Amino acid sequence: MAGISFRNVTKRYGKTVAVKNASFDIQSGEFFCFFGPPLSGKSTILKLILGLETPDEGEVLIGGKPVNHVAPASRNVAMVFQNLALFPHMTAAQNIRFPLVERKVPEATIKARVDEVAAKLHIAHLLHKPPAQLSGGERQRVAIARALVRDPVAYLMDDPISALDARLREETRVELKRIQRELGQTLIYVTHDQEEAMSVADRMAIMEDGEIRQIGTPVEIYDRPASRYVAQLLGAPMMNLMAVDASGLEAGEGTIILPGQAMPQDVAGVGIRPEDLKVEPWAESHPGRPATVYEVEPLGGYTVVTLDTGGQKLRALMRGQPDVRIESAVALSCNPERIHFFGAAGEALRP
Amino acid sequence: MTAIHLENLVKRFGAFTALKTMDLEIRDGEFMALLGPSGCGKSTTMNMIAGMEGPSEGRILFDGRDMNGVAMGRRGVGFVFQNYAIFTHMNVYDNLAYGLRVRGLPDAEIDSRVKKIADFLQLTPLLKQPSAKLSVNILQRLAIGRSAIVEPAIFLLDEPLSNVDAAFRAVMRTELKHLQRQFRQTMVYVTHDQLEAMTMADRIAVMDHGVLQQVGTPLEVYNNPVNLFVAGFIGSPGMNLLRGSLADSDRGLVVDLGELGLTAPLSPEVAAAARAHAGREVVYGFRPERVSLSVTGEGVPMPVTFVERIGARTIAHLGTGAQRVKAVFDNDVTAESGTTVSVAVEPASVRLFDAATGIAIREA
Amino acid sequence: MTSLATPEKMPMADAALKDGAAAADDGRRLGFALTMPAQVLVLFIAVFPLLMQLYISLTDWSPLDGIGWWQAYELWNGFANYTDLMADTRFWSALGRTALVMLICVPAEFLLGLGLAILFMDDFVGKRVFYSIMLVPMMVVPAVAGYMFFMLFQSGGPVNDILSGVTGMNVSIAWLSDPTTALIAVMIADIWQWTPLMFLILLAGLVGVPEDQVRAATLLGASWWQRFRTIVLPKMKTIIIIALAIRVIENFKIFDTLYIMTGGGPGVATETISVYIYKVTQQDLIWGYVAAIALVILISLSILVSLAISRMNKKKEA
Repeated sequence: MAGISFRNVTKRYGKTVAVKNASFDIQSGEFFCFFGPPLSGKSTILKLILGLETPDEGEVLIGGKPVNHVAPASRNVAMVFQNLALFPHMTAAQNIRFPLVERKVPEATIKARVDEVAAKLHIAHLLHKPPAQLSGGERQRVAIARALVRDPVAYLMDDPISALDARLREETRVELKRIQRELGQTLIYVTHDQEEAMSVADRMAIMEDGEIRQIGTPVEIYDRPASRYVAQLLGAPMMNLMAVDASGLEAGEGTIILPGQAMPQDVAGVGIRPEDLKVEPWAESHPGRPATVYEVEPLGGYTVVTLDTGGQKLRALMRGQPDVRIESAVALSCNPERIHFFGAAGEALRP
Repeated sequence: MTAIHLENLVKRFGAFTALKTMDLEIRDGEFMALLGPSGCGKSTTMNMIAGMEGPSEGRILFDGRDMNGVAMGRRGVGFVFQNYAIFTHMNVYDNLAYGLRVRGLPDAEIDSRVKKIADFLQLTPLLKQPSAKLSVNILQRLAIGRSAIVEPAIFLLDEPLSNVDAAFRAVMRTELKHLQRQFRQTMVYVTHDQLEAMTMADRIAVMDHGVLQQVGTPLEVYNNPVNLFVAGFIGSPGMNLLRGSLADSDRGLVVDLGELGLTAPLSPEVAAAARAHAGREVVYGFRPERVSLSVTGEGVPMPVTFVERIGARTIAHLGTGAQRVKAVFDNDVTAESGTTVSVAVEPASVRLFDAATGIAIREA
Repeated sequence: MTSLATPEKMPMADAALKDGAAAADDGRRLGFALTMPAQVLVLFIAVFPLLMQLYISLTDWSPLDGIGWWQAYELWNGFANYTDLMADTRFWSALGRTALVMLICVPAEFLLGLGLAILFMDDFVGKRVFYSIMLVPMMVVPAVAGYMFFMLFQSGGPVNDILSGVTGMNVSIAWLSDPTTALIAVMIADIWQWTPLMFLILLAGLVGVPEDQVRAATLLGASWWQRFRTIVLPKMKTIIIIALAIRVIENFKIFDTLYIMTGGGPGVATETISVYIYKVTQQDLIWGYVAAIALVILISLSILVSLAISRMNKKKEA
C-alpha cells in the first residue's frame, strides 16, 4: 500500500509556522483534497510531499518509508501544474514521453508506457497533435498523462482549474474526478474553492493557519463540522451563526426557538445551514418573534432569502421560486436535529 | 435618476465588430445586468454608455438627450472599475473627496459630505489610512463611495465582485442590491457570472458574440429562455438539452429522443406551440432542478455515472454518450453512482427549441 | 449595513504578511551571499581611488616631481590645498557658473521633455518618424555636437542667418566671443543634446501611469490639468526624481561640448568646474590641488543629491 502519511510534521519559514504538527494518512487510490483559505499551508504540504521542502519536525512517509531526506527526483510523486506547462513546440506524445526521455529509459519501454497511459486517459487518437490544437480538457489529460507516465506513487495538483471561468470549472472538476476514478491513482489536490473540494474529494483536510482542523469525507465535514471555523468554510451561502441569548432558549433576537432540553451543556452559539432554515408567513400562533425579509435573490432553481432579525442578517436557501415579499414578516424555524451547537471557543458540541 | 436608451448601437474596432446593432431601454431607477461570456460585447456597451468610447453607429440617449459628443466627465455617470482604480497615492479621505474637489466646492461642504458617505459605508475609521494596502472588500466600498459622492444620475459597475473572495461575494451581492433598492438609482452592472446577474438585477440583458440575446427579469430569463444559448448560460448547472425530433403518436405530439429510446410526452401548451414544427428536429430542454428520480417509478431508466454532493445540493450526472442529463436535488435523495434510476421530468417545465436555429418554440 | 463591515477574521491576510517577511528574509541572506564578491570588487574600485585622492589632496604632489604618488607624503602640506581653495575666486566663480547653467538647463530640459512626452502619449501622423528624430541628439558624440554648435554659432553662421531671415534685419552676433551670448549658446547646445533623454525617461513614466485611475478621475469630472496635477504627476514622482537626479549630476560635470565650443572662454566666461579642473590639471599640473577640488565637489554634490532625494521620499511618505 503506497499511501502517503505525515507524522507530526512542522515546517517553519523564519518565525512563521507554515505547517504546524500535521498528521494524516492518505490511502492508496484516494482523491484527497486540502482545502483552506489562501496561505493556510495547503501548498506547503504539497511541497513537503514533493520534497521541495524538508520538515523542521516530524516525518513524511511515502509507502510507509520515511522520505525526509530523499531527494524530490527519487520520491516518485508527480506534479501537474496549474497552467499545465505543456511544451507548445512538441506533440502530445512528445510531451508525455518527455519525463522518460529525461531519465534515459529505453525506447521500447517509453513507447509501451506512453501507449498505456494514453489508452487509460483516452487520448491515443490525439498523440500526434501539438497542444495548440487540443481543447482545454484534452490538454488537461495530456498534462496528467505526462505526470503519470513515470508511474508515480501519487500525482499532485495545486489549484489546477482556478483560472477557468465558472461554467468551465463545473465541467472540468467532474472530468478530473472521472479520470481519477478510472485510473484509480492517488491524487492529492489543493483548492480554495469549497464547491470544487466537496465535488471531487473522497476525503478532505480542512486547513487554517497551517493546522489541519478536520479530516473526513465532504459529507461528514459538511454535516458534522468540528468547529465554527470549519462550518463556515463549507457551504454557500455560509452557515448562519447566532449567539444563544441569556435564557439559553432563543437565538437570533428571539426569532428562533431552541430545543432547550435537547441541547448540550455550555452552548455559546448555534449554527443553522441556510437550507435548514424554514421560512413561513408570520402567524400569531408561532412561538418567538417574526423576522423581516431583507432581500430576495432568485437563482432559478433555488432562492436565497436574506432575513433581518433586528440584530443580524440570516440567510435561507429555499427550493424553487417561492413568493416571498421584501419587508414582509416571516416566521423562522429549524428542525432541531439540524441545529449545530458550538462552545465558547468555537468547538462543536453534540447533544 | 435617468433612463438610458441605446438605439441601434454598433461598435467596430477596425475589421472586428464588437457590438452588432444593440437596442436596449434601461428604465429610470432600474438595476440592469449586462450578462455574457467574455467577448460578448458587454464591456464595450458599458464603455460607450460611460463615454470612454464612441459608438460606430447609433445613439445613446439619457432621458431622451443624445449623449454623442458629450465628454465622459460631463455625463453624470459614476463608474466602478473592475480593479476599482483607487487613487493609490491618496488616503481614503482624499479618494472620497476627489470628485468634489475637482468641482471646486468649499472645503467645509466637502468635509461634511465625505464624512456622511464614509459613515454610511462604514469607512469612517479608515479615513486617514493610505488606500494602497486596503483589502478588496474595503476597496470596493471606497470605489462605490468615491463615485456616489458626486451623486451621479447613472451608476455603472464593471464586474466589481470578481476580485472579492467567494465567502464575502454573497454578502456583497445582497448589500449592493439593497443599496440600489434604497436609492432607486439607475444601475448598469456588467458581469459574466449568471449568479450575480440573477440575484441582483431587476432585469438581465443576456449577450453573446456582440448580439443581445434576451432581456427580461431573472426569472423570465431562467424560466423562458428565448434560445439555446440563454438556456445553457443561465442556471447552475445550465438547462439539460437533449436532441430529438417531434413526432405524432397516440398520445399526441411527443419528442422522440433518439438514442435514449424514449418518447417524451408534451404538456398541452407546449404541444400546441410545437404543432407547426411537427416532424422537425428539436432540442428538448428542462431544468436540472425539475427532474425527479425514483428507483422504480415512472420515467426513463438512466445510469447514474457520477454524483456530486455540494453542500445543500446534490448533482447527479446521468446517462452516457451525447445524451447526458444532470439532476439537482436536495440531500435527502440518495443516488449511488453506478446504479440505474428512473428519470421523470415535470411536463410543465419542458421547453422546446428548434434544433436548426436554436430558437425557442413558443406559442405565437 | 452591518454585514458590510470588515469580515470577522481574515487569517490569510496575516499569514500572507508573515510568510512574505520570512521569505524575504531568507532571500536577503542568500542574495547577499551571492553578490558578495561583486560587492567587494565594487567597493575596491570605488573606495580605493577615493582614498588615493584624499591622500594626494593633502600633499603638493605633481607628476613632474619625479616621485611616485605613493611617495607623495614627502610633499605633505596638510590642509593647505583646502585653505587655498577657499580663497580661490576663479574656483568660486566657476562653481557659481556651473550652478547657473544647471539651474537653467535642467528645468528647461525637464519641461521640454515632459511636454514632448505628453504629446507622444497621443497618436499623430508621423509619430514614429518624429520619435526616431527625437533620439538623434542623444546618439551624437558630444565632441561632434560641440563642433556642430561651434559652426552654428559663428558670426557668419546659420543661427545668425536664420535670425536675420526672421527679423528682417542683418543680425551678426558674435555669439561665442561675447561672455553672455557664449554662455547662452553653450546652454542651448546642452538643452538640445539632453532633452531627448528627459523625454525618454518621462515618456516611460507617463506610460506607467495606471490608465484606469486617469479614467476614473475623468469620470469624476476632473479637467485635463486637474488630472495631470492630482493623478499623473504624483504617480510619476519617483521617475521624475530619477530623471532630475541623473541630469543634475551629469549637468554639473558639463564639459566636452562646451570645451569644444568655447574652451571655457571668452576669458573665463564659460568656465565651469570641469573646465577649470581640466585647465588646472593640464596647465598647472598641481595634482594635489586638483584632487582637493575634485573631492570637495564630489562630497558636496553627493550631499546635495542625497538630501534632495531623501526630502522627496519623506514627502512621498507623508
